[in-house]
Amino acid sequence: MGRFFINCDDASILSTRAHYNDLNSKERFRHNLHKSHCLKCRDFHKKNARFQRGINKLKWVKLTVEEKDRIRQRLLQAMKK
Amino acid sequence: MPDVKLVPEKWVDRYSDYLFNYTITRVNDAIKAQDLVSETFLAGLKSAHRFKGNSTERTWLISILKRKIIDHYRKINSNKGKAEVRMSYMNRSRDESGDWMEERVQDLRNPNVEDDIEQKELGEAINECIANLPERYATIFVQKTIDNMETETICKEHDITASNLWVIIHRARVQLMECLNSKWFKNE
Repeated sequence: MGRFFINCDDASILSTRAHYNDLNSKERFRHNLHKSHCLKCRDFHKKNARFQRGINKLKWVKLTVEEKDRIRQRLLQAMKK
Repeated sequence: MPDVKLVPEKWVDRYSDYLFNYTITRVNDAIKAQDLVSETFLAGLKSAHRFKGNSTERTWLISILKRKIIDHYRKINSNKGKAEVRMSYMNRSRDESGDWMEERVQDLRNPNVEDDIEQKELGEAINECIANLPERYATIFVQKTIDNMETETICKEHDITASNLWVIIHRARVQLMECLNSKWFKNE
């Protein structure tokens, strides 16, 4: 992506990467430049941000190592039968 | 779809967190959720000979889990379950304030309660939508977005380039957004 202006496909990928703080300053500039004249991508970026807010709101629970071990043991015992 | 083979030895590492999250939003009890995940794996093992390979392992396990969750609710809605609820109310100590059932109902005007309900519903919708994603997309999306794993680590694990990873994540997000639009955001 060595050029100044980017197409909508590239801009949408940059929009996604922006939500993971993965853009360098050049990419951020290209993305902002594209959004300044592309209504569709600006709208997509807004929807992407709304989706990210939804994801951020969620509490994701993970099983602890011990809990996983307990389930694994049950499964392994059943497999031996 | 290529033939899918079951690998029960890997189920806990691959699917337990995902199935647990799917369950906890529906049963609201961590211990029960763990039991249901565990029972799902055992039921999967028992009926492994019936797995035709037409769907992915995960989709197949989710369908078993859904039945387990329905069974769980059938059990607690049985007469025995109702009797237990009544008894636990009658057995409350005198010191506890309030004698009426109404006093025990949560205040829905409380913003925290609303937030909790909203989060629970959104969690259910997102889990449902993730379950509909292709397995590879779902795994990579969860690793990057929920587990916050490093891009490099995920790329190594799946033997893909960083550009491929971002394309996969982008496509997963677009599919999830479309799915959530029909399940969740349309109500906003």
